[in-house]
Amino acid sequence: MGLFETLQRKAVKLGLLPKLLAALPLLSALTAVVSVVMILIIPMNGQYRNTYISENALMPSQAYSYFRETEWNILRGYRTEIEVLNSRGVSASDRYDIVAGWLNEFGAKTAVYRNEEMGDTLYGVLHAPRGDGTEAMVLCAPWNNSEGEFNIGGSALAIALSRYFSRWPVWSKNIIVVFSDNPSVALRSWVEAYHTSLDLTGGSIEAAVILDYPSNNDYFNYTEIHFEGLNGELPNLDLVNVAVHITQHEGMKVSLHGLPRSELEKNNYWSRLKLLFLGMKDSTLAGMKKAHGNEVFSGWRIQAVTLKARGEGQIDITTFGRIPEAMFRSINNLLEKFHQSFFFYFLLSPNNFVSISSYLPSAVLLSITFAIAAVDATVNNAYASALHITYTLLAALASVISLLVSFLVAHWFLYSTTSPLYLILGSVVLAVSPLVMSRSNNALREPVCYRMRTLGYIYYSLILTSLLMLNFPLAFSIGLFGYPMTLVKPLNIYSKSQMSLKLRNSVLLVISNPFVATWLICTVVENSEFPNLDVFAALFSAWKDLNCWTWFVLCLGWLPTWLLVTFSSFTSIPAAETTIEKKSN
Amino acid sequence: MESFRQEGRWSLLAVVCLAVTVRCAVTAMFPSLQQQLDQQVEFSTPMTSYKSLREGLFLLRHGLPVYSGGVVHQPPLLLSVFSRVPNCCHRYLYAVADGVVACQLMLVSRALFSRTPGQRRVPTWVVGLLFALNPLALLSCVSQSTVSLTNVALSSCVYCAVVLRNTWLSGVALAFASYLNVYNAVLAIPLFNAFNGARREVCLFTSVFALCLALLLLLSGSQGNGGAFDGSFLQATYGAMIRFESVAPNLGLWWYFFIEMFQEFIPFFKGVFNVFHVGVTPAIAWRFRGQPLYSFVISLLWLTLTKPYPTLGDTALCFAYLPLFAPLFGYLKYPLFSTLLFLHGVMLSPIFYHLWIDLGSGNSNFFYAVSLVYALALGSIIADFVWAMLRMEYDGGSPNYKRRLTQI
Repeated sequence: MGLFETLQRKAVKLGLLPKLLAALPLLSALTAVVSVVMILIIPMNGQYRNTYISENALMPSQAYSYFRETEWNILRGYRTEIEVLNSRGVSASDRYDIVAGWLNEFGAKTAVYRNEEMGDTLYGVLHAPRGDGTEAMVLCAPWNNSEGEFNIGGSALAIALSRYFSRWPVWSKNIIVVFSDNPSVALRSWVEAYHTSLDLTGGSIEAAVILDYPSNNDYFNYTEIHFEGLNGELPNLDLVNVAVHITQHEGMKVSLHGLPRSELEKNNYWSRLKLLFLGMKDSTLAGMKKAHGNEVFSGWRIQAVTLKARGEGQIDITTFGRIPEAMFRSINNLLEKFHQSFFFYFLLSPNNFVSISSYLPSAVLLSITFAIAAVDATVNNAYASALHITYTLLAALASVISLLVSFLVAHWFLYSTTSPLYLILGSVVLAVSPLVMSRSNNALREPVCYRMRTLGYIYYSLILTSLLMLNFPLAFSIGLFGYPMTLVKPLNIYSKSQMSLKLRNSVLLVISNPFVATWLICTVVENSEFPNLDVFAALFSAWKDLNCWTWFVLCLGWLPTWLLVTFSSFTSIPAAETTIEKKSN
Repeated sequence: MESFRQEGRWSLLAVVCLAVTVRCAVTAMFPSLQQQLDQQVEFSTPMTSYKSLREGLFLLRHGLPVYSGGVVHQPPLLLSVFSRVPNCCHRYLYAVADGVVACQLMLVSRALFSRTPGQRRVPTWVVGLLFALNPLALLSCVSQSTVSLTNVALSSCVYCAVVLRNTWLSGVALAFASYLNVYNAVLAIPLFNAFNGARREVCLFTSVFALCLALLLLLSGSQGNGGAFDGSFLQATYGAMIRFESVAPNLGLWWYFFIEMFQEFIPFFKGVFNVFHVGVTPAIAWRFRGQPLYSFVISLLWLTLTKPYPTLGDTALCFAYLPLFAPLFGYLKYPLFSTLLFLHGVMLSPIFYHLWIDLGSGNSNFFYAVSLVYALALGSIIADFVWAMLRMEYDGGSPNYKRRLTQI
């Protein structure tokens, strides 16, 4: 304690605390900058690690894969049959009955899950010869893929693979083969039904592999692997590593986050940084973007990846089939659920990753940025010392009201057909209203403004902290894009250069508005996927169809703080003046 | 003066009505909330959960042995009281219980502030409102954890000792509180301070408390037995709590130690934890013997911090008393730090539990880390308030917030 005491006395002597308090706005900006810099440092040499298989039991590519030329003919046969089905225009339900017949031929138990609204799903269970039937692996081929293309290669591959699997005595986990109308809502409703209402089940699903091969060409060029789940969930890194390892072992190039072929060989700072940002973007927008199929398994402790064949080249379709084969051999070895390796990570290249300890501090710093802004709003004004319980209660009331308003806004736009344009217009009008309001309209007392800001920033800091483990990319993005809120300066009727301050505040408020910011960012980074105001429709359907709560994070996390900060930016009357007025009355 | 009284009466009635209505309304508006909260480790523990109470009621109504299954840990008299009320009406019982606490809080605050005029004070209705609308108290009440009932007993005890100054009644109330949670018996020690060292009163209080508790235990044991005493409930209720038999995750500091520890050391450390839990109370009571309510609340905070099965409902009661110490607020050194710590602990604990139990991407260390943050928050609140009271004593009772002192 001696050292601590000396330090404390020194600090008191030098008057460090008042200096520190005066520097709070600067400190707040500094933490935000450091937070971004820490993310930019991650792709540098020495900051990331090579991927490795953590669970010893997995042993990817240790067994020889036999899905080769002999199976190719069978695969082609099924593919021709499916093409015939498709060209004859067989209805969806008949189609599934015919495919179910094929699956029954080699001993799979099948059932069709009918869902009028979302789409039907056919699934078959191959019972494990060496297991107790309590665990399962899923092989899934959506009939149409995320782009709406007919997934002909994937479907044929899934049937041929299950026929091939059925002849093997090595399986210790059930194999469930699933065909659904589409990889998003239909598959999601099946996953939900599997865990709640279906009669034919095969035990708890450990892992799922989704096949996407939307062409009837025998040859393709490289493999895309998609893995980011809903609400910031990721599959265990071991499963992704196994997929990457096997794909590379079979001689294919791996593309993550949809990188084009020309960029796959690069591995330098900029390529890693690009992949890091693409990963953050894909994870933030998961559920809003077109689902590949692996997203829908989120929330049930299922590790899922999508394998997608891309381009035209030299690699044949059985090579693609050997990836799920070898992956299933690996998963089959597991004695426990996936628990080794990492659940929170970013891949900087197929073989490089960073774990949570490297990137979490930057989101923590963003949260601290807002906490410091809250302290600044409490301490650095004339109302810091006194208790002002009435003003604090008023501000607390304002917070509760803004939370209620946000709740209503969230539900109103979700369930009514009001155009989201009004959302943006309303926000902009609110943000610029201090510019046009006349002085006589001012009813706000200055201490209430400061208390509102304190509560707003504390709330935002809390939201960021609670999100940072659940959904780091989302936490980081809303922290960063909400940052201009801390720069908004309150002003009272005596402030100098009112107009320029007001203009500055309004601009800051417009760009940090949750809806305007979301719309702007999505237009810039994903213009092809979200033209016009489609991003809001995507947010609504992500919640309704997939249970992805990004919309509620925007409305219940970001909007209340924005409202509080906006109201605090209205010109206010200092508290002392009101008491003077009372006396004169 | 009369009008002030009148006004006080109306605001008192309004706040109590508000507390009861809000609780009933929340239960009515979100019918599934009770079950959800009952599954939250922050609001319900094996010792206090409504689910196990319902189980006990079912067994009791069907004439089956209640305690042999190892699920029910509620004392017998509580079960028999609840069995006389239809299940659908229990929620109103809980709402009324919280209303009573709010009312007693306001009466205590009025009595306290009228005795020390001129000090900085928080309006009576604010004290009541802070409890009535405290989300922790609200949700704890909606979860129908039996903590709410223990809170009524404790709050009545404070009310009888501070406002009525009735030795008998406070002894009886504390007996009820200890009957519901055996650790509350140590709160008798800070309550001695309320009698200003009058030996006769202390003896009276102790004997009333002991007699009443013994009577309650006797009644419980001989219930439905044709008069013969059956002590099996002691083991299932108090024994299970003291010996920490159900090692389940909660906000407390105990569970993680006992899932990690080697088998041989467990009995010894259970003893250590028990001593740690109750042993500090006499020291607090002795040091702050001039401040009966203060020593009681600090002891209560300490018990909440080191309980084997703590819930946020316990914390809500402790926090309800803090506005009564308004003169101390000016001395607090790091209130913002404690607040932020507490808020983060409370917000993150359900999230980390979800990551661990539901998603499987986290593990037990995540949740325990957050419960440590929560414990640190409570610890810093205790430390800060102790410092504030010591400063107040240094200033001789008349606050001088301007004077700067540093600790040695």
